[in-house]
Amino acid sequence: MTAPVLTPAAPRQSEPQPPRPARPARRRTVSLSPRLRMQRTLLTVTIVLIVIVQVYPLAWLFLTSFRTAADFAGGNPFALPSEWTLDNYARAFDTGNLGLNIVNSLVVTLGSSVFIVLAGMMAAYALQVLGFRFSGLIKALFLLGIIVPVQIALVPLFIDYSQIGLLDTHLSMIIPLAAFALPMAIYLFSSFYEYIPREMYEAASIDGAGPYRIFGQITFPLSANTIITVVLVNSIFIWNDFIFANTFVLSDGLKTIPLGLQNYIGAMGNTDWTATFAAVCVTVTPLLLVFLVLNKAMISGLESGATKG
Amino acid sequence: MAESVPLGVGAAKPRPLRRPRPMSTSMLPRRSRLSVAVFLLPPLLLYGVAVLLPIVQSLFLSLFRWDGITDMAFVGIDNYVKMLTRDDVFWTAFGNALGYLAICLVLQLGGALVVASLLTALPRARELVKTIYLLPAVISTVAIAILFQRIYSLEPVGLLNQVLAWVGLEGLQNAWLSDVQTVLAAVSIPEGWRFTGLYMLIIYAALIAVPRELEEAARLDGASWWQVFWRIRFPYIRPVWITTTIMATTFALRGFDIPYLLTNGGPGQASELLTTYMYKTAFVHTDYGYASAISVFIVVECLVAVGLIFLLLRRRDDS
Repeated sequence: MTAPVLTPAAPRQSEPQPPRPARPARRRTVSLSPRLRMQRTLLTVTIVLIVIVQVYPLAWLFLTSFRTAADFAGGNPFALPSEWTLDNYARAFDTGNLGLNIVNSLVVTLGSSVFIVLAGMMAAYALQVLGFRFSGLIKALFLLGIIVPVQIALVPLFIDYSQIGLLDTHLSMIIPLAAFALPMAIYLFSSFYEYIPREMYEAASIDGAGPYRIFGQITFPLSANTIITVVLVNSIFIWNDFIFANTFVLSDGLKTIPLGLQNYIGAMGNTDWTATFAAVCVTVTPLLLVFLVLNKAMISGLESGATKG
Repeated sequence: MAESVPLGVGAAKPRPLRRPRPMSTSMLPRRSRLSVAVFLLPPLLLYGVAVLLPIVQSLFLSLFRWDGITDMAFVGIDNYVKMLTRDDVFWTAFGNALGYLAICLVLQLGGALVVASLLTALPRARELVKTIYLLPAVISTVAIAILFQRIYSLEPVGLLNQVLAWVGLEGLQNAWLSDVQTVLAAVSIPEGWRFTGLYMLIIYAALIAVPRELEEAARLDGASWWQVFWRIRFPYIRPVWITTTIMATTFALRGFDIPYLLTNGGPGQASELLTTYMYKTAFVHTDYGYASAISVFIVVECLVAVGLIFLLLRRRDDS
């Protein structure tokens, strides 16, 4: 790509640190400037193209939700809607149970998050802070869950649920969603607890605090950032969960968003596509907004979740 | 094995100096056994009920023939024998699952590495690109399935076929989801597309942590861009690369939603994955024993895959 002999000291544009633009370096290599500038333009164009291809389907989804049905059936799919309409949204709300679906998704997401955070903190506290003889073994047992596919639990849980009458409840979704997210949460909390200095606990201990008070007054308050990370990252997966909901929930009143959307296609034989797209937009928007508002926290959460786990 | 996942990754970033660990495993000077139990048992119960117990139950059920209504009949390892020797659909599904895995890995890891490398060279707006690129990961699989059904459609002409028409390749227009030749790729691509942003993010974070001094020293020695990449950058991010490979592989092996929603394994068995086959065996044919055997196989497959990844990517590290 470049001739190394001719450009021994040429600072490449692959500058790792965002806050350090290549300004001083560029001055030193005036002769290369046009070429660097061209490379940079080429690079920018490439990235813009990639980004467009990546996001266009989503933009198209939103555009289509404002099309008339005739426009959708006959028109050029890339064109802007010839006539903007909100009818699709009206039909989407008429045919489905969107409001109810959103409430159910909220219940499941919040319920699972509470379980994940509480159980994750408690287990990490027991494993990392309190410590005990076989803590390494128990930790390995938990971490094994990171790679266990959820499919293994479907048949057994379905049978167990039907025996104890838990099928078709919010809890039937919350329990496995929380349990399968637990290993990663325990890992994140543990690796954070490792950094809380021992001296802090010793000081509290001298003041007479036992393990419960220390958890409530030191460990828990310090965990705030990790809690946010864990909740944000898991919310994406739980909000969008399809497989557990599809397996354990039968009645319309309990259906979460993914199941509600599926109904649009199944129920109407001849699918009303523009209304379906409107429904998709309605259900996608809440998480999308949360993501756009909190994207800094979410991105760093995803990064740390992966680079640590 | 599972425990070495984080350990391998931890090597990528500067760890705090591990202070000499005293004999006690506890960070607290005083704690009772009871307090350990109070904190440990509730999470262990949740995990045991929904993860560990089902694994044991699946192993148990896989030795029986059972439709959920009549009495269970013990058949020993017959379910496994049937699966491995007499069931063509199983092998078709296994082959498809490997194809699905391959496409997902190329799109997610290959795509992520290319875009992340390009992004490190972008002078500005990196945060914006990251955010936009990650958007599809936030969308539910059902929404994605609905979307791609229209992208692939022929009647009315969907996005893909329209693009082909514009570039003069009308001849290639196709009903991608009902063609046996293309359907597997067609159901794999949405899955690859959806998470490529996630892996890009992780790899990008690793790439910008590569010390610049290393790269610059290599360039002073006359290394080309390609050499800098393979000799300096890639070895440096290898631990993170192992993690992302494991994530992408295990996610792809358990991939279910999009093929199930888009084609339900069809036409024929052309896009049947082990997961969709297992699901149908369990909840359409209510053959719980055989479905459990397949799900045990899926777990074994994931464990083997993780083991292989460690073996392959680690060994090169040592040499």
